[in-house]
Amino acid sequence: MSWYEQFLVIGTLLPLVSFVLLVFFGHRLGKPNSGWFAVAGMGISCVLATIVLAGWHGLDPAEQAELQAGAYRFEWASMGDMPITLGVKLDSLTVIMFFMVTFVSFWIFVFSIGYMSGHSDEIDGQSKYHRFFTFLSLFGFSMLGLTVSSSLLFLFVFWELVGLCSYFLIGFYFDKKFASDAGIKAFVVNRVGDFGFLFGLMMVFTFLGTLDLDQAAREFAFQYEAGSGVFGTTINLFGWEVSGMTLATLMGIGLFCGAIGKSAQFPLHVWLPDAMAGPTPVSALIHAATMVAAGVYLVARVFRLLTPDAQLFVAVIGCITLTMTALIAIVQTDIKKVLAYSTLSQLGYMIFGLGVGAWVAALFHLMTHAFFKAMLFLGSGQVIEGCHHEQEITKMGGLRKKMPFTCWTFFVGVLAIAGAGIPWTSLGLGGFHSKDEILAVALQRTDYWPPEGVEAHHAAAPVDDGASYLLVSGSNQEGGGQAHGQPGHGEAQPGDQGQARHAIPPDAHTADQAAGAHGVDQHSLLALASGTKKLPRWMFWLPVIIAYVTPFYMMRVWWLTFMGKPRDEHVYEHAHEMKLMYVPLIVLAVGTAFASYWIFRPMLASAAPAATDATLIVGIDGHATDAGHAAGLMMPHAVHSNLAPIVGFAFVVGFVAAWLIYRNGLALATQISRMPVIGFFHRILVQKLYFDHVYNFVWVRGCQGFAWLCRLFDTYVIDLFFNLAAKITERFSAFSGWILDAEGVDGVVNGVADSMLKLGDTVRRPQTGRIRNYVLFAAGSAAVILLGILIGVRL
Amino acid sequence: MTFIGLNHYLVVAAIVFVAGVFVMMTKRNAIGILIGVELVLNAVNINLVAFGRYHSTGSVDGRILALFVIVLAAAEAAVAVAICTNFYKNLATIDVDRGDAAKG
Repeated sequence: MSWYEQFLVIGTLLPLVSFVLLVFFGHRLGKPNSGWFAVAGMGISCVLATIVLAGWHGLDPAEQAELQAGAYRFEWASMGDMPITLGVKLDSLTVIMFFMVTFVSFWIFVFSIGYMSGHSDEIDGQSKYHRFFTFLSLFGFSMLGLTVSSSLLFLFVFWELVGLCSYFLIGFYFDKKFASDAGIKAFVVNRVGDFGFLFGLMMVFTFLGTLDLDQAAREFAFQYEAGSGVFGTTINLFGWEVSGMTLATLMGIGLFCGAIGKSAQFPLHVWLPDAMAGPTPVSALIHAATMVAAGVYLVARVFRLLTPDAQLFVAVIGCITLTMTALIAIVQTDIKKVLAYSTLSQLGYMIFGLGVGAWVAALFHLMTHAFFKAMLFLGSGQVIEGCHHEQEITKMGGLRKKMPFTCWTFFVGVLAIAGAGIPWTSLGLGGFHSKDEILAVALQRTDYWPPEGVEAHHAAAPVDDGASYLLVSGSNQEGGGQAHGQPGHGEAQPGDQGQARHAIPPDAHTADQAAGAHGVDQHSLLALASGTKKLPRWMFWLPVIIAYVTPFYMMRVWWLTFMGKPRDEHVYEHAHEMKLMYVPLIVLAVGTAFASYWIFRPMLASAAPAATDATLIVGIDGHATDAGHAAGLMMPHAVHSNLAPIVGFAFVVGFVAAWLIYRNGLALATQISRMPVIGFFHRILVQKLYFDHVYNFVWVRGCQGFAWLCRLFDTYVIDLFFNLAAKITERFSAFSGWILDAEGVDGVVNGVADSMLKLGDTVRRPQTGRIRNYVLFAAGSAAVILLGILIGVRL
Repeated sequence: MTFIGLNHYLVVAAIVFVAGVFVMMTKRNAIGILIGVELVLNAVNINLVAFGRYHSTGSVDGRILALFVIVLAAAEAAVAVAICTNFYKNLATIDVDRGDAAKG
């Protein structure tokens, strides 16, 4: 195990250590100390993550590939003859994700120390301070474990652990019913998604024979080429024959269902707004930066197992989610709910981006979003704390003078999420780069973009150019790694078992030769890539429209909270800031502004080829032309230039619109919302599109109805049977008691006693007590004897 | 004159004996029962003397035994009267049918 893996594993286990220690000694450590303890654990993990990041960043791609291929694996168990391996997946994506999680977690832990000192030990003293940090540490461990896991099985284990921690933390104030209800809702909805996830996992294990991410992808690619395995099997699903590509698509959709639940996509998005019942640091950490990102991370990891149809499904779900939730966010008045719906919308963007194939852009969006959303949530936490637990923006206003740090860091976050920047340059924050790129890829995939790029470009591109070599046959990455590793390695790597058929002659330097070794026509691969369906136009326009809506509602919430005149004097007077709580804000703001573009994006770009297997199933960036761009999977400039006038100034339009409507407070907005048509939509949006009502009616009441039916069955059928059996037994025992006991045994005993009594009575009759009778008997007996002797002598 | 032999004495003794037993059997009076006992003993005496006169050869055994019986009868009568006295003390009556406390 190289030192990268060691550091990653140590970094993962440190929060576990602090969890265990806090479980046993947290009570004794008490109020601020248990918090600092947890912070120390995560802090060291953060330092390790930074070292790994710095080290990894300095390696060139070949060294990275080598380290990746030789990453630590051991056989944890085996089912029959199929081994289940566990190990560390060493990858640029892992390294960055690990860094992001530890960094954001660390600063949120620091924030929590100050925030929770005022927000714990509630009514009955149960929401204890140390309990919070115990769960936070467990969560840290689970999330990091999820990130570094190399096997889908262990990813699922940590997936569930993360869900469990989310339940604990959302329901932290468990003595309040709405909080514990929210925790249950989150867990149950998550579980629904996990059902599909398990389905997908089982299919992966059945058809691909392994749950290791790399091996599964290799096997999938092989099966596609050979038309075997999942592509060659037919199963019978409730009467439908499912086979081939459809079966593979089903597998991909199954795996995606987990992400629908965890990342709160339509239709399982209902748990996230309710999860705001948890303390604000929880909302910041779990429901903005990390846990909900786990779903996106999963899709990114299993990207190679998704067929074009599955990806289309992913994109559609993402698109619906981002639209729906952005519209709901416009009318929310609770500051945390606005941020929750904003998170849902941005997650929708990420999933949409993955679905259309913008792997790098979607994950880049994930990283920047983690930073600025955590910062926005922490800022809202400051606001809520400072306004003494007031969460409605209708009661806030003019807070900029009282909470300047919060106000301006919040504004940086608003700029980032809105995608503010200067078009046609690279100057911009967060969403300016990432959202833009997602939209660019989407634009390319629609029929707006001239399609002649693909075949011509590929036919023209020299195949032994390093970049397109990476691009054209992604499996060469493994081939190169294996070929590099194979000669001189005495020990068999677990990935090699059964994969010998993938061995590419080490001297296959051209894609042609590589493809020839596979026995597949290179052009057929490309044909599939270019023939990937074009996206319908609405899938491009909806995200664009929402790119205008996002700045609108963010500016709305910022303006109404911090600018203008205070709407509630009482709240305004007491507003204040706490120092321990705004340092993290500043750090995260800096991270948002600067670190993302220059460090993360290139690393993500370097991870992309191996992670996406670009040509095999997905024909995303088939239009990449320049060699320099191919490895980075960036868009040609032409696309960006065409896109700029459409979305480049969206943030300006959104900001101005929000300013116009809300500059004098909520009066104008309330008037607008009363107008006839708009009023109708406003009502629907305030009711969150009636999802909760429908779900309550269908699922909750449905389950209760089913339970009622079962109870009827229990009472009238099962109980009937048992009562009948009991009655029969009782009757029978009464009968046998009567016959055997009363009549039989008792009869005998009583009969004996009776006869004895009668005998006694009879025997006692001579005992008259009268002397005369005794004399009579004596004389009579004497006479009889004498007579007897007389007669006897005579005879 | 009929010759009076042994049999006549035996018959008389038998009659007296049976009378005495009959009195013992039927009398409710305690003293009456004692009278019956006396009758029986006297019958025995008659028998003894009769057999001593007619069947023995000059021995006096019969007459001696009769003397014993008379003495014993007297002693026994004394004891019996003591018993009757006690009987009367306990039960305030000499009706022996009242003394059936030993009834089973």
